[in-house]
Amino acid sequence: MAKKRDTWGSRLGIIMAVAGSAVGLGNFLRFPVQAAQNGGGAFMIPYFIALLLVGIPIMWVEWAIGRYGGGFEHSTAPGAFHSIWEKNRFIKYFGIIGIFGPLVILIYYTYIESWCLAYSFFALVQKYSGIIDQSKMQAFLRGFQGLERNQFFTSIAPAYVFFIITFLINMAVLVYGIRGGIEKFCKWAMPVLFVFAIILAVRVLSLGTPDVSKPAWNISNGLGYLWNPDLSQLKNAKIWLAATGQIFFTLSVGIGVILTYASYLKKGDDVALSGLTAVSMNEMAEVVLGASIVIPAAFVFFGPMMIGKIASAGAFDLGFVTMPLIFGHMPFSEILGFLWFGLLFLAGVTSSVSLAQPAIAFLEDEFNITRQKAVAVFAAVTFALCNGAIFFLGRGVVDELDFWGGTFCLVLFATVEVILFGWVFGIEKAWEEVHHGADMRIPNFYKYIIKYVTPVFLLAVLGAWFIQKWLPIIRMDGVSGANRPYIMATRVGLSLLFLVLAIMVKVAWGRRERSGRRAR
Amino acid sequence: MTFFGWVFMLVSWGLILTLAAVCFSRVLKKKKID
Repeated sequence: MAKKRDTWGSRLGIIMAVAGSAVGLGNFLRFPVQAAQNGGGAFMIPYFIALLLVGIPIMWVEWAIGRYGGGFEHSTAPGAFHSIWEKNRFIKYFGIIGIFGPLVILIYYTYIESWCLAYSFFALVQKYSGIIDQSKMQAFLRGFQGLERNQFFTSIAPAYVFFIITFLINMAVLVYGIRGGIEKFCKWAMPVLFVFAIILAVRVLSLGTPDVSKPAWNISNGLGYLWNPDLSQLKNAKIWLAATGQIFFTLSVGIGVILTYASYLKKGDDVALSGLTAVSMNEMAEVVLGASIVIPAAFVFFGPMMIGKIASAGAFDLGFVTMPLIFGHMPFSEILGFLWFGLLFLAGVTSSVSLAQPAIAFLEDEFNITRQKAVAVFAAVTFALCNGAIFFLGRGVVDELDFWGGTFCLVLFATVEVILFGWVFGIEKAWEEVHHGADMRIPNFYKYIIKYVTPVFLLAVLGAWFIQKWLPIIRMDGVSGANRPYIMATRVGLSLLFLVLAIMVKVAWGRRERSGRRAR
Repeated sequence: MTFFGWVFMLVSWGLILTLAAVCFSRVLKKKKID
């Protein structure tokens, strides 16, 4: 007998959970780095255009597909896609990307999340408080990651302990299900996260000119680094690609997690207003708060010449090396450090539980097993996989996982779902589906954006990325000879994981047909 | 920051905060807006 499906307890609950999935490390680290690396104000114009033409439409599409699939007791993309295109026997296999992608991201994301927990603890116990220069802070991070033995750490053991704690926290949230675990957690974690971010943003924005001998190094100019518009850069395709990529990352669209969350809605529940509310919450966290912390703070303490260099060192250096040094210049540095890493940790957990949910839901729905058993199987498999990211971090494994899970799958999945919804399902039916039970009327021009503009935009991005980035990555250009075997092993492992999921989909559909349940 | 920088930032923040406020107030009221 089929068991009763879990549901959301409240409308605010799913909005908090979707916003929690979207608000992650990317809002506070990736966004400022991307903006700073791509011309500051020049980046923000394509960013907002991509938000309107790609981000918001895909958000609505994913919510609607998810709720539609949920009506056929499918919480994940293979089932949801098959419900939309019944006649096609292969479309369910495209849906595997919606389980595979989040699983791949989760493998390294949980580990990075555990660094945030560790650093918030280190901030409180003042473990790094005496460090005042960039190279020593870098050594602290490398020692913690187990990439070298030094005066700060002699083994990877502390990092591994924090990883286990983080992993257990995630599983503890997941085991209680949608309503009792994810919803409850996100409903308190999201407001706390916003309070932490507001305190930090107010502190940074009130810094003024910390060094009076350098009057140009002030907060106003720090904000100007991000916001002064530079229209001449708009012809640069790289900036448009970076802005579109950021929109994908930040909204968690094209991953499959929103589809899964929305599958627990009832047929008459609204998706239009709820989706837009989650977008607005994410943008508040990113554009208002995320933009007001890292870059302006780095600007006033390190100056305009250094900021480009700091941004080019990447998001992790900015978050785990530069930010602790910046807080070291301020009173109550341990509290500010705790708030910063606590904020990142909460943002991380609300995202990682969403990344885990599609695989767990797949086991529950398609193999009809209990939540507890599904979480146990999932925990055993992902714990084993995470070890690859932990112990081979220095071999480029995390970058490789990020490319396939966090870039390739994302754009491909978004393209498939938009074409499926707008063309195969049919835009008229799709429009009706989005508005079923809706608490707002979406402007009519979005019908044409979903049907024409978004797919063309996505295909253009896929094409441009293929030429600019994918070929060099597939050929492993720039990868050292020593690291190539690890990259190859990661690719083989990912291919096997996809194959296993494909076999599971085939088996699950066979079971459904034999048991007389609607294969749809 | 230039004058246009201030305008761009404040308009962007204003639009996002207004959107969030309108969306949340409607979600909390469960108001239909057809």
